[in-house]
Amino acid sequence: MSTTAPITKANLANLVARLVAGGARVVAPVRKTDGLRYREVTDGAEIVLEPRGLPDMSLKAVVFPPTEPLTSYERKGRDVALTAPPLIFQPTVVLGSRPCDAAGLEILDRVMNWDLRDELWFGRRRATTIVSLACAGPADRSCFCTAVGLAPDATRGSDALLVPVNGGFVLEAVTDAGEALVKGNHDLFGVPAQADAEVRQQARQAVAANLSLDPPAVQAWLSAHFEDPLWDPIALRCHGCGACASVCPTCHCFDVVDEPEDLAHGTRRRNWDTCQAAKFTLHASGHNPRADQNVRFRQRVMHKFEIYPERFGQVLCTGCGRCSRTCPGGQDLPEILAAIQARVGGAA
Amino acid sequence: MTVFTPSFVAPAPAVPYPANVYQPHLVTIEAVRDEAPEVRTLRLKFNDPAVAEKFSFVTGQFGEYSVFGAGEVTFCIASSPTRKGYLECTFRAVGKVTRAMRDLQVGDVMGFRGPYGNRFPIDQWFGKSVLFIAGGIALPPVRSVIWNVLDLRDKFKDVTIVYGARTVADLVYKHELEEWAARKDVKLVTTVDPGGETPDWRGEIGFVPTVVEKLAPPSADTYAVLCGPPIMIKFTLPTLAKLGFPDERVFTTLENRMKCGIGKCGRCNVGPVYVCKDGPVFTAAQLKLLPAEY
Amino acid sequence: MNELRDLARRLLGDGTVKAVVGYEEGPRGVRPVFVTRPEDADQLIFDPRAVQNLVTFLNPRRPHVKRLGKLAVVVKACDARAAAGLLRESQLRRDEVVLIGVRCGGVVQSPEGPATLNEETVAPRCGTCAQRVPTLADHVVGPELPAPPVQSSEDEMMARLDGRPHAERWDFWMAELERCVRCNACREVCPLCFCERCVQDKSEPQWIESSPHVRGNLAWHLTRALHLAGRCSTCGECTRACPAGIPLNLLNRQAARTVAARFGYVVGDDPGVAAPVGTFRQDDAEEFIR
Repeated sequence: MSTTAPITKANLANLVARLVAGGARVVAPVRKTDGLRYREVTDGAEIVLEPRGLPDMSLKAVVFPPTEPLTSYERKGRDVALTAPPLIFQPTVVLGSRPCDAAGLEILDRVMNWDLRDELWFGRRRATTIVSLACAGPADRSCFCTAVGLAPDATRGSDALLVPVNGGFVLEAVTDAGEALVKGNHDLFGVPAQADAEVRQQARQAVAANLSLDPPAVQAWLSAHFEDPLWDPIALRCHGCGACASVCPTCHCFDVVDEPEDLAHGTRRRNWDTCQAAKFTLHASGHNPRADQNVRFRQRVMHKFEIYPERFGQVLCTGCGRCSRTCPGGQDLPEILAAIQARVGGAA
Repeated sequence: MTVFTPSFVAPAPAVPYPANVYQPHLVTIEAVRDEAPEVRTLRLKFNDPAVAEKFSFVTGQFGEYSVFGAGEVTFCIASSPTRKGYLECTFRAVGKVTRAMRDLQVGDVMGFRGPYGNRFPIDQWFGKSVLFIAGGIALPPVRSVIWNVLDLRDKFKDVTIVYGARTVADLVYKHELEEWAARKDVKLVTTVDPGGETPDWRGEIGFVPTVVEKLAPPSADTYAVLCGPPIMIKFTLPTLAKLGFPDERVFTTLENRMKCGIGKCGRCNVGPVYVCKDGPVFTAAQLKLLPAEY
Repeated sequence: MNELRDLARRLLGDGTVKAVVGYEEGPRGVRPVFVTRPEDADQLIFDPRAVQNLVTFLNPRRPHVKRLGKLAVVVKACDARAAAGLLRESQLRRDEVVLIGVRCGGVVQSPEGPATLNEETVAPRCGTCAQRVPTLADHVVGPELPAPPVQSSEDEMMARLDGRPHAERWDFWMAELERCVRCNACREVCPLCFCERCVQDKSEPQWIESSPHVRGNLAWHLTRALHLAGRCSTCGECTRACPAGIPLNLLNRQAARTVAARFGYVVGDDPGVAAPVGTFRQDDAEEFIR
């Protein structure tokens, strides 16, 4: 039986201090002038644990930084020496991530483990303990985690789940790492107790009211209607900017570039990239298989709701709603999915 | 799009992939040969003797070749797996990395990641005939298969090669074309586009699809390997169909913009496939399942 | 609003334009809409949430929009300045577009609303807006509206930076630019970023590192600000679009301030007025040439 134990806000701050003192990096939602974001913290009092709303960008930067060295090279005469980056990373504890963000990482494990294992990804994953905060309900009308098989209190991808109760939280351990966190800091936790199941059910229902979806049916429709003109009017307002991909918990496309420091040294890096950029598929010959925004926009939705599920059995979306919130052009993914669902015929 | 079944999976390579899959092997340029204007072949040898000794791949596979400081670029392995001790790649200098490659000389060090991708299942063609059709700079991937087949010549029935380029100067592997022409167990037809011939040109004059149609190679018990610029593929596929080749017996290799080469970065994703993992070798039947986004 | 809708209906009905680009009520607030049929003209709205600069859809780097044909675009006076820029720089011919000017009383910062205009909510650029009816317009619709409240947050930020020593200003921007992930939203929403091949996408040589580390980000944003100097209408869309919350418009406003001081030029909506970019005058200051 997994441990569930109450913890006060004050003791959460103490936990942070203890983790930092122990050499761990602690990442948590913090609000500054640029909004609520996941940031590295040393002072537990800075952490914002409001169960409504979510940080502006996803958690993926913790295990998949926007830029990351893949290897470094040094020229010595005509010879070259390569230095691989270390595959062991500083232990990181995330406190207060959202269930949609934690689940996103687990969804991405599948492609990162496809035949060849990406040890940069998994090295960081192994070093990271994730304690998520259950949401009390949708942040706004754009949340739809329940429509894609998740929930405001889902534990997928999390090592433990903090559920808000009067006076603090109840922490439910999900994995061994979560158990270890509780056991190793048992003096900060109270006597085991359950959180209110009713409250959690209400939260799920509130999110479910935002969107009803039958993902396998949507997948089948997308597969059979690749050339559907549905995309043309939608794509007109798309700027092709990729802000959606940058905030998304599951968008993971990346570029690989060599960056010389000088004639003798340099680094090969991988950087966040997006299929929404015009040059994503541009060939050296000048041929571009996805030459306009209509087909690029289609690709993003296809990859998330048809291609990734077909290859990896999992929708590449956690229903966090960030793409809709950040899009400067007013694209709304629940609206688009509802339009597809309507074409499928009937509500889910 | 319908459900895609990955095929012709390559066996695990003899030299296992490194723990950091993005770390290249170091290779040194052993030989350089200019094939055509802007087109060059490099012969590469692994610096690590243990890797050089054990390295294996199967025909159809590709690699990511590094010019440190410029970047990586994707090419098929143009040499045959039957020829041990080296790898060859043939490229046209069209962009940042390939232009940097053109500036390298014998003795310079590059990087190689691979082998990646699936294979031409030539073992399934034993006892059958093989028809190779290639155009221009697309001969290199086919050349790997040609030499693989010729090095196992008695396992196959008839071997026919149709190769064309825009002009005589653009024909690559000119020396090997002569070798193939001289062999009694190979039928070679070369062609150049109308206007591309020189006064002493002895081969055909005409576009590759037209020449194939005129040649009318028999389709019975024959596998076709086809590679060329999109326009050539577009017109050759129907020609082969007309000659009676079923789509399952027509093989091609696709090029698409790639970066990681191992199915992580998303760039080469076309419809339900990742060209780097499910390809680059596809049959015409499989191509028809893909949207035309390559 | 009826004036706008009737006009749109007419322009679409008689085939003057193939689409009217305006604002509609979307799921989360006001957003751009492409109305192609006269019967859909009632979708068009205009209220203080009409923040977006719709002139960006005239950017020639949008072939899927160009394919629609001749457009009519709803423009506020600030948007019209961007249209003037495209005309001045020959990216657009005047007869290729119908500009529907709207009389504007200010907009809020977020198209999601609420639509109430006050000192907190109003967009920073509105308070100092010298011209609330575009002169660059084929039609002008909408009632006369009172002057907008003044929002000084951007001015305050600039004033704060003005007084500080260089090292502090450097630190400020380093901290802000650390968050940039090079998504290029700033570039893609900008009407005047129309280069077929953006300087940061050029690879031979790689003038600007594409990696989202501070060094590459600094190179990108300073270069973009310099490339926009004397051209940018300071509409603020870049700041709004940035998912990392970086106040990019401050860079553009600083450049605009410098251009005004040195060349006596402020971006206006008359494409006939020559801009400093591409113009030489005998009395241009030269003290930096030593």
